Amino acid sequence: MENGTISYTQLLREDLGIFRVTPDEKILDFKAGQFLTLGLPFESKMIHRAYSITSSPENKNFFEFVVRWVRRPLPGRFTSLLFNAKEGDKISWAKPAGNLTINDTLPSGEKDTRRIVCIGGGTGLAPFVSFAQHLHATNDKREIVVLHGASYVDELSYKHLLTDLQNESIDKGKDEWNFKYRAAISRPDEWTNRAWGGYKGRIEHFLRSNDSGKSPLEELVGEKITKDNTMFYVCGWQGTIDGTMDYLKTKNFVTEKNKREDGSFEVKFESYG
Amino acid sequence: MGMAEEIIVEPNFEKICSDILNSDEQIRFSGFVNDKSKLIHSVQKNNLESLLSEHEIGMSIHYTLERWRKAQNFTFRLGKERLTFTEYDNVTLITVPFKGKLLLVSTEPRIAYDSIIEKINSILINWEN
Repeated sequence: MENGTISYTQLLREDLGIFRVTPDEKILDFKAGQFLTLGLPFESKMIHRAYSITSSPENKNFFEFVVRWVRRPLPGRFTSLLFNAKEGDKISWAKPAGNLTINDTLPSGEKDTRRIVCIGGGTGLAPFVSFAQHLHATNDKREIVVLHGASYVDELSYKHLLTDLQNESIDKGKDEWNFKYRAAISRPDEWTNRAWGGYKGRIEHFLRSNDSGKSPLEELVGEKITKDNTMFYVCGWQGTIDGTMDYLKTKNFVTEKNKREDGSFEVKFESYG
Repeated sequence: MGMAEEIIVEPNFEKICSDILNSDEQIRFSGFVNDKSKLIHSVQKNNLESLLSEHEIGMSIHYTLERWRKAQNFTFRLGKERLTFTEYDNVTLITVPFKGKLLLVSTEPRIAYDSIIEKINSILINWEN
């Protein structure tokens, strides 16, 4: 394990926070979408938990994470320690790992130019925040769509950053930077969400065809979604993964874990539940 | 031989609300909220002017549910929440968790609460099982 310092904490709500870890030494290279295992001391031993990195590989100053404080049925030991930690407290970390990374080439060796659609449920948005910043920093020309689902508007972490990236796309034009961001709120009738005017429902419903025969996603990108023009990345609770696959299987999309004999696939996912 | 089919009877929330409202003169309002902040049924005493606007009622339900959700974080140490009282100058609010919903009752302030609670419990217990 390497050593570092919790250099920044920001509570978005009582049980949701953004944390930065600044390594004592340099940041190791990693790929957008990977996770880091963090360690904190508890009763004379270390507890470890893995979290997807939200910062981009180009950021050599700190690793950033968005974390939910687990409280029920029992308070999570690691997240309780993390949410009680102060800026300046020490933390340990292991080298980045994980396979939910961006596909840049097809099995044929050709460049993968397909549209990238990222579906994140709750803190499952995390790897896609890293994706978005990395693809922006590397001047990637693919079309990128980030869809974020949450129960409450104050759980829309990174709304500011992702909206800015979308506005830049509108300003510069899609030939320069082609980025779209949409969020869905699953409890629109709750008081906290009273001013929400965006999409209402579960995030995977973005893939469900409406009366016009098109899904909200297809209306957003302006064409039919097929396995030849779109690559999906999904992260969240198993329910979000299953809900997404319910739609994609009917269109013959295949996951990386069940890839075809020729090595092709159109869905990568990671669940945390 | 077939398996016995379990019959789950959903409480008649409308009847429970009416029974509670009619159980004591001091009760102003009785209603049930689900975990999505939706007021699924409620009744209010006739000829009473509501102390809150519709907008404020939504806000009040939100605060009540938020408090209830947060209180559940201590269930593992303190057990399940059974009852809360909030006494204002002009009204007293009582909440009772019941079958995944939250019963909201408001009464006139500074009254004998023990008998009110007994009446509420005696109505709820009929639907307990």
